[in-house]
Amino acid sequence: MAKQYLLRKADFDTFINSVLKRSEVIAPVKGDETKLRTRSRYAPITSPDEIWLEGIPFYTTKYFFFDRKEVLFKFKGNEVIDPTITLKDRVFFGVRPCDLQGIRHQDIVFLEENPDPFYKARREATLLIGLQCAEDGNDEFCFCGSLDLKDIYFDLMLYDKDDAYAVVCGSDKGTAFIERYEQYFEATEGVITPSDVCTKDKRGLATTDIADIYDRDEWKEGADRCISCGACTMLCPSCHCFTIQDELDLDLKSGQRVRTPASCQLMSFTRVAGDHVFRSERLARFKHRIYHQLQYSRERRGETLCIGCGRCVRDCPAKIDWVSIINKMKEGDKDDDA
Amino acid sequence: MTTREILIRDSPYRPEKKKVISYRRESHDSFTIRLDWRLDHGPGQFIFCSLPGFGEAPISICSHSDEYVELNIREVGNVTNALADLKVGDELLVRGPYGTPYPMDAMRGKDVVFVGGGCGVAPLKGVIEYIEHNREAFGKVTLFLGFRTPKDTLFLDSLERWMDVFAVDVSFDEKSGEVPAVCALASEGFVTQLVAQNVEYDENTLALLCGPPIMIEKAAELLMGKGFSAEQLYLSAERLMYCGIGKCGRCMIHGYYTCLDGPVFRYDELRRASDG
Repeated sequence: MAKQYLLRKADFDTFINSVLKRSEVIAPVKGDETKLRTRSRYAPITSPDEIWLEGIPFYTTKYFFFDRKEVLFKFKGNEVIDPTITLKDRVFFGVRPCDLQGIRHQDIVFLEENPDPFYKARREATLLIGLQCAEDGNDEFCFCGSLDLKDIYFDLMLYDKDDAYAVVCGSDKGTAFIERYEQYFEATEGVITPSDVCTKDKRGLATTDIADIYDRDEWKEGADRCISCGACTMLCPSCHCFTIQDELDLDLKSGQRVRTPASCQLMSFTRVAGDHVFRSERLARFKHRIYHQLQYSRERRGETLCIGCGRCVRDCPAKIDWVSIINKMKEGDKDDDA
Repeated sequence: MTTREILIRDSPYRPEKKKVISYRRESHDSFTIRLDWRLDHGPGQFIFCSLPGFGEAPISICSHSDEYVELNIREVGNVTNALADLKVGDELLVRGPYGTPYPMDAMRGKDVVFVGGGCGVAPLKGVIEYIEHNREAFGKVTLFLGFRTPKDTLFLDSLERWMDVFAVDVSFDEKSGEVPAVCALASEGFVTQLVAQNVEYDENTLALLCGPPIMIEKAAELLMGKGFSAEQLYLSAERLMYCGIGKCGRCMIHGYYTCLDGPVFRYDELRRASDG
């Protein structure tokens, strides 16, 4: 077992303030209660008072690793000009295990296979301090316990222990961080036990193997209500699809090639020149996302792309609960077998 | 808190400049350019080419040469319309090659049937040229090429040469207007009709299909009806793509990435050829 430490809650504010002197700190902050969106979201903070650790943050951490509009390069006529990105060292505090899973999935796509230097630079400037979900930390939408996912990556992981956070170190970077802020970390032993890891899975996804139900009519329940807004893919920690386009300056000679996020739920996602759309039916798009998440990625990499955070169900404007749709089909099948 | 500027070099999206060394109008809506580019590639692979400000498009390589790269481009979108205005000596931006080529080694010693429709003939041309350069390694070669009308015919010079060394059958969906001399004997109808009439089952034959999805499906259905197994059929798929390296997700056909696993697929590898 890795070394354990205690971070006293009485010292918490001074600890965060001293981290803020050296790095940017990104943590869940309270949503705006005057608006509909009251849940927390990850944002850069200026004071420890802003940190709000209740519930699962509305947005995931992914847009801190991808610019909403990433300049891949600039150009002047046919001359390609290498781009620069501006970075601060940043410490993510209070990252949920599901978001850490999402980061690990993004690492597979953008660091392991054909590394992406933009993602790599941002990832290297990042220290991840996770926060283990408490029993009441998650809600009826979470189902990470139903998925057979590999271990998450973190630099430090915190466990809420009433008047202190128990801390476990997950990397050399985490060790170095603890050495730097050693006055706040008190070495301890045996405080964290396996039972501290949240395994609650109120709802549960019946199975990730959905190869045999592709042609079932029940998918229409979801697809018929889908408004193709793409919220599910924007909120998903694992979704990574994008578009590349050129933007031209007013001189019509110079400009930049940019990468922006894309959603497989939109009609334009598979539109080619000549106006042919490969997945023109909403049903095909709806199924594509779920099959990519559960089936295709498991066949390709041995684990689901889906990390079970439930955001795509929790915040779907049409309240499409694809987990229930699958569960119903699978439970119906079981009844038939009996 | 220090802010750093990081210069991003060697990004996989960074293209290089190449010069156009020849340009020829191919049909009323397509052209062929030859680039001064010594590129190690296999038949069936593709590259991205772009003109800054217009954007990037994946284009399959339609030649097989150590000296140059040829691209047959149909003018159907923003990028391809802009590329049509290129002149000899102009430069464009390219990156590649990408994708899995046709399995040339597995094809050695076999008879090969090509079924190409419209601009789907372009990727096949690279394979045909490969076979021309290594003629003794392959058995009987038959080409079934279909175009919409005579004015859509591609690669007239190559067709003339191929007719001397291969069995070539051309068809036009509509045989109207001025018919090129080399296609005087062409029939009217879909290219799949040629397949239906002229192909006989043979276990030592492989078929390479490239064209509109409906043509591929019909041709595959016909060939399998004659006794061919899905393992004997190869198709080249086309999808929208932006990265070429398995990240942008646009080219997925079910669980397959066209850019990495394709564009060449063995027919049995694609669980479902359409996306629906």
